[in-house]
Amino acid sequence: MRTALITGLTGQDGSLLARLLLDQGYRVVGAVRRSASANLWRLEELGIHSHERLSLKSFDLLDAERARRLIVDVHPDEVYNLAAQSSVGASFDEPMLTLQAVGAAPLHLLEAIRQTDPRIRFFQASSAEMFGLPRSAPQDEDTPLCPRTPYGVAKTYAHWMTLSYRATYGLFGCSAILYNHESSLRSREFVTRKITDSVAKIRLGKLDCLSLGRLDSRRDWGYAPDYVQAMHRMMQADASATYVLATGRATSIREFASIAFRAADIEVEFEGSGLNEIAVDRRSGRTVIRVDPALYRPVEAEQLIGNPARAQAALGWQPSVPLERICSEMVAADLRRNAAGASL
Amino acid sequence: MPMKQKVALITGVTGQDGAYLAELLLGKGYRVHGIRRRASMFNTGRIDHLVHDPHEAGPRFELHYADLTDSTSLIRVIEQVQPDELYNLGAQSHVAVSFEEPEYTANTDALGALRLLEAIRILGLQKKTRFYQASTSELYGMVRETPQRESTPFYPRSPYGVAKLYAYWITVNYREAYDFYACNGILFNHESPLRGETFVTRKITRALARIRLGQQQFLHLGNLDARRDWGHARDYVEAQWLILQQDQPDDYVIATGQARSVREFVELAAARLGIRLSWQGEGPAEVGRVESCSGEEPALQHGRVIVRVDPRYFRPSEVETLLGDAGKARAKLGWSPRTRFEDLVQEMIDADFEAARRDSLVRSHGYSTPDHRE
Repeated sequence: MRTALITGLTGQDGSLLARLLLDQGYRVVGAVRRSASANLWRLEELGIHSHERLSLKSFDLLDAERARRLIVDVHPDEVYNLAAQSSVGASFDEPMLTLQAVGAAPLHLLEAIRQTDPRIRFFQASSAEMFGLPRSAPQDEDTPLCPRTPYGVAKTYAHWMTLSYRATYGLFGCSAILYNHESSLRSREFVTRKITDSVAKIRLGKLDCLSLGRLDSRRDWGYAPDYVQAMHRMMQADASATYVLATGRATSIREFASIAFRAADIEVEFEGSGLNEIAVDRRSGRTVIRVDPALYRPVEAEQLIGNPARAQAALGWQPSVPLERICSEMVAADLRRNAAGASL
Repeated sequence: MPMKQKVALITGVTGQDGAYLAELLLGKGYRVHGIRRRASMFNTGRIDHLVHDPHEAGPRFELHYADLTDSTSLIRVIEQVQPDELYNLGAQSHVAVSFEEPEYTANTDALGALRLLEAIRILGLQKKTRFYQASTSELYGMVRETPQRESTPFYPRSPYGVAKLYAYWITVNYREAYDFYACNGILFNHESPLRGETFVTRKITRALARIRLGQQQFLHLGNLDARRDWGHARDYVEAQWLILQQDQPDDYVIATGQARSVREFVELAAARLGIRLSWQGEGPAEVGRVESCSGEEPALQHGRVIVRVDPRYFRPSEVETLLGDAGKARAKLGWSPRTRFEDLVQEMIDADFEAARRDSLVRSHGYSTPDHRE
């Protein structure tokens, strides 16, 4: 039986990947931060929280000795490093923790693998934020990295470390440059889930209005279950490599919000511009979206669109779910959760 | 009216660049503060002559205990000093050691830079304090074009290079996000008699001087054909200062534009001591023999092997030829290197030969001298 160790198992990608690997017969060990308030709702929603082949081990990303002990004790075939301080916005407030969480953990894991069993395969979840403010789109694996946020800079550190261990010690280390990938398991601090959760609340009369930052910001949004599929496939290849995972299509936040409202049976119309732009519910005439400059990022990454051609050619992978379906799935989940009273 | 005296704070002041920079700034009338780490051995040998200058009325050069891995110590010193210019030269600066101590390297070189930037932000000094980050040609690693310039994509190949790349980007990030006057100097190798003894140039000049005087048998080296762009540290700290004197903050490559091999460095240094070398064999089996030897000291025997290759010094992943194009620094800063490669090698070998002679003298009178080993 193959064994996978996943950091960040309780997050969106971790829980989706765990389900995928359990379905394929893996033993899955999740390395999770100990907390007095366990954060297992995603595993519960996916129905795998009490799976017999799933176990959780406590792991703090900053603890090098623990990383080594986990590698020795679990002795996995594959390690997926998905854990991070994953909010770009928070990285401006907590740049130090961001580098430690994002950069130190892969370093500890790579060192532990190198020193104990170099055959263990390593996956690093890299990010399109590493491209920063690209001058041209789409980006691919050869596009120079120019990160522009503390989060992006920290992810760049982890990416190069993975490549460095691959080149220096011959480790099997994959780095996937992931563009935004969403699902109903996204946490609410991300704009897509914030939108779908708010739309559900507005639909149910639990909220009046949704505040957003720059409505013109465009993102390449894919479907998270597709992306964890690609992660697993690149770990089965003959050689490790770097892959861009993206849809190649960018959509504005304004458009995403429209789709989300439509999925909840609310038609909205945008009026005004800049800070004064609002969206109005056509039927009721109520304002449902406002712009809040406090939500603007200090530096905005524009034009982030990925070219997944290498993943297509080498892994036979391609994104399978269009944004409209991702969005309606998210809205449906949030309507269900909010109607039941709880939304996590 | 006289201008208000400027205040500079230097991390890494006990190192090669720190010493030259402190001297340069003191010469320009700055009040200079340096950050030192506590160690059980004296580590201020390069700057002691600056600390004890009896001709100055008040102390213009002051050292503070702090550490790049200790945020609060940095905040305390910066708050106390209120620097106009902060030069971050402190680092775990040895590439080979970074493979052994990758986490410490990240903590010092990557997080250390961030701690300083955050300290400036926390103290609200971003309008006052200009920040210089000592970036490095190691960022280019597996070079994407030659020569390397500011627009060349980075491809670091060592934990040192990766950590320094973090510091590079976070410096750019604080400039863009918070309007810091924060700059990177991407410095190619720069050497001097003050270079640390474990760096290849200094290792060569020390070893050859000691071999010439019979204090050492062999000089062991890694890849003899590795090529580097070597300048003089004294010239390079001037560029560091210039980078912080511009209207707008920016990033600059500082280099000579000439790449020389380790082999060339060895030959030139040996020649200065009257030794002509001949090379035999290939790869790890290659040796350098004494072809001829002249000078006042007793001659080394013809045919004696004095240079050997030791694969232990091969880097786990060797970077290719590093060659910088300092065109932007020349155009915008008016900077260009003053010291020729030949003069750099000569200055270094002369200083180490002098030190070795002193050791010989001491030994010939029955005293011992320390025999530092790597």
